[in-house]
Amino acid sequence: MEIIKSKKEYDVIVVGSGAGGGMATKILSDAGISVALVESGPYFDPANPEQQTQLKWPWESPRRGAGTNRAFGDFHMSYGDWSLDGEPYSSVEGTSFKWWRSRMLGGRTNHWGRISLRFGPRDFKSKDFDGLGENWPISYEDVKPYYDKLDKLVGVYGTKENMFNEPDGFFLPPPKPRLHELFYIKGARKSNVKVMPSRLSVLTKRINNERGICFYCGQCDRSCSVYGDFSSSSCLVIPSLKGGKVDLYVNSMVNEVMTDNNGRATGVSFINKENGRDYKIKGKIVVLAASACATARILLNSKSKAHPNGLGNSSNLVGKYLHDTTGAGRGVFIPELMNRKTYNEDGVGGMHVYSPWWLDSRKLDFPRGYHIEVGGGMSLPQYGIGWNPNEFNKFFGLRTGGYGDSLRNDVKKYYGSTVYLSGRGEAIPLKENYCEIDNDTKDKYGVPVLKFRYKWSDYELKQVKHMHDTFEEIAYNMGGIPLGTKPTKKDNYGISVPGEIIHEVGTTRMGNDPKTSVVNKYERLHDVDNVYVVDAAPFVSQADKNPTWTIMALSMRTSEYIISELKKKNV
Amino acid sequence: MKRRDSIKTIILGSIGASLTMKSCITQEDEILLNQVWEYNYGRTSEELKWDYKVLTGKFFSNNELAAIDKIANIILPPNENGNIKDAGVVELFEIIAKDFSTPAHNEYGEKVLRRGLIVFDEICNNRFNKNLLDCSEAEIKIVFDKIAYNDNKDEDLQEAIRLFAVYRGMVLTGYFTSEIGIKELGYKGNIPNVWDGVPPEILKDYSVSYDKEWIDKCVDQSKRNEIAEWDEDGNLIT
Repeated sequence: MEIIKSKKEYDVIVVGSGAGGGMATKILSDAGISVALVESGPYFDPANPEQQTQLKWPWESPRRGAGTNRAFGDFHMSYGDWSLDGEPYSSVEGTSFKWWRSRMLGGRTNHWGRISLRFGPRDFKSKDFDGLGENWPISYEDVKPYYDKLDKLVGVYGTKENMFNEPDGFFLPPPKPRLHELFYIKGARKSNVKVMPSRLSVLTKRINNERGICFYCGQCDRSCSVYGDFSSSSCLVIPSLKGGKVDLYVNSMVNEVMTDNNGRATGVSFINKENGRDYKIKGKIVVLAASACATARILLNSKSKAHPNGLGNSSNLVGKYLHDTTGAGRGVFIPELMNRKTYNEDGVGGMHVYSPWWLDSRKLDFPRGYHIEVGGGMSLPQYGIGWNPNEFNKFFGLRTGGYGDSLRNDVKKYYGSTVYLSGRGEAIPLKENYCEIDNDTKDKYGVPVLKFRYKWSDYELKQVKHMHDTFEEIAYNMGGIPLGTKPTKKDNYGISVPGEIIHEVGTTRMGNDPKTSVVNKYERLHDVDNVYVVDAAPFVSQADKNPTWTIMALSMRTSEYIISELKKKNV
Repeated sequence: MKRRDSIKTIILGSIGASLTMKSCITQEDEILLNQVWEYNYGRTSEELKWDYKVLTGKFFSNNELAAIDKIANIILPPNENGNIKDAGVVELFEIIAKDFSTPAHNEYGEKVLRRGLIVFDEICNNRFNKNLLDCSEAEIKIVFDKIAYNDNKDEDLQEAIRLFAVYRGMVLTGYFTSEIGIKELGYKGNIPNVWDGVPPEILKDYSVSYDKEWIDKCVDQSKRNEIAEWDEDGNLIT
């Protein structure tokens, strides 16, 4: 097969344009470094009316927004979800992992919840507290300056709370709570659960003249057309393209990092998805940011004489210590919120209040904490609304079901009366949870795919059991009735399937010892001095904090390190 | 390329063989293209191809569609706020029957939606010796009274009860995702605005209030356009 080679040698090739890759592209190109940004999906700009879903009504979709093509519904802004045509993956029997892939410029940052939490001092050194897992080789103090810069560059709202493990930052002011959130505040306080304004990267106030301000449509998951929320594409990549130092390759699936006889990286090879042809481009440095599992796959598929085991894999740890956030949730019906007077309470695209971890794990039967997210309100109808129009009649001893004019009033009566509580917790990373190459299966581009092996341990099961106890207590204390039945041991306490929370991290973990880790504290492979990983793969542990803010802070830090190495001509 | 042309290229490309055999695009093809064109909601080219498949072809016969229309109008009779026709509910049945056709949907159109019509017809035939479509509204209501409520434990009717619940769900979801349905629901959002908290009269209705300490930290919407600046301790100064 003909392989098309470009003569140009870039200073840096960045693979993937999500949180980590977008940040690296911005920091490197701003410093005058030439960058090839290689993205597996198409160009995407939420301001492009042809791609925009923001402010669309359900009837503008023939299926009224149902999730046939996009797992979270038609208007959700992710090209790709837990399954992609022609790109399978599997799990070892008796285990299960769901792998989310957003194939587009900006990757998953176009659809995420914008929850932007710093890791705290304890989160980098958890082993010191409970003896489990491993400490990071860096501390909060190492990352703090980058979190600070990130807050100002990207924007995040929140409040100063002076909590040891929930560090404050440079916050924009938060929006006022919605009605159901006032009910949550009341219930949480009565249950002695800390509650405070959420921290989301949504611009409640202008941070520069390039981006618009939030106009409160509640649709951050559709990616904002005025860039009022943070997406890597709209806030990092698209501005970087204007600087003239970045060549963007879209629809380009990287399958391998190429190396020379000494084992150093010389560039990457990729398949152009539009014409099916193979390309090779050269770079002095390769920065991988394809997402934790895709990065592991590229490394493991990059076999050579110098790296017979896959690139950077002399430790045999590439793909190991894969871990996702734990998740569990419960709906709560609030009778007091029946028959609501309607008004616009869309707010930002997510919660205005939440509960950070508030307990001391030493007094509990599980080691790591979780936070609670709050959803609900009179939200934009979508396919599914009114399906069981009067099921809450059962709480009043009334008949459910039926037909006729009264159903109209049933739907209106119960609209906006449900609150959803979701727990998001920290898992203990285990070597036994991993992804590896499945040599028997290739994707439609001919590249070997991934096989996963992931099982929760008792630590996670006990944690979600505790979540459910908390949900019930808060539910009653906010005057509500928890919906459905509380899951028990038999159904693993309703814990999410690994991968479902879409926070998978850990596949090239960071450390000082090349035998027990894959990258060093600057996210560079121990085995090769010109390959870096800036997605969530280097995470040693992931706290109960959503990973994006830490991915970006570390990517910024690594990018500055790369700049200094290039200046010193160490590369 | 203009959106209309690019849609045409994508769709003609996807059904290449069948259309290029014809020397030109027929009037019927043109109508179908227009149908896809009507839905402008940010699709990828793969999704456009899927939509084309879903919006073309025919799943239900005209008789079946007439039966669905009749059922839908009894489940949710028209009134001054709106009706099944204006909400496009019958069209939604036809679209969902073709759309829910991935392996995960397990032949939803056939095994659930069409099965519903078959089962309802069976009950009508047993009771009145005619199909649902030929029954009067009063006769259909006699049947629905048996299968519309979850407290009927008659084992012979459990499948019909399950299927009726799907029909009721489809009718209501179709109605309340339509323009008239959303208006009737009273939903007020999906437009640019400035959220400045729960309206005071609503707070009063529920006897709740904002903590002063909490609200003092919240955004002052009159200053939202001033570029944020902080002191070195992270206190906002603009």
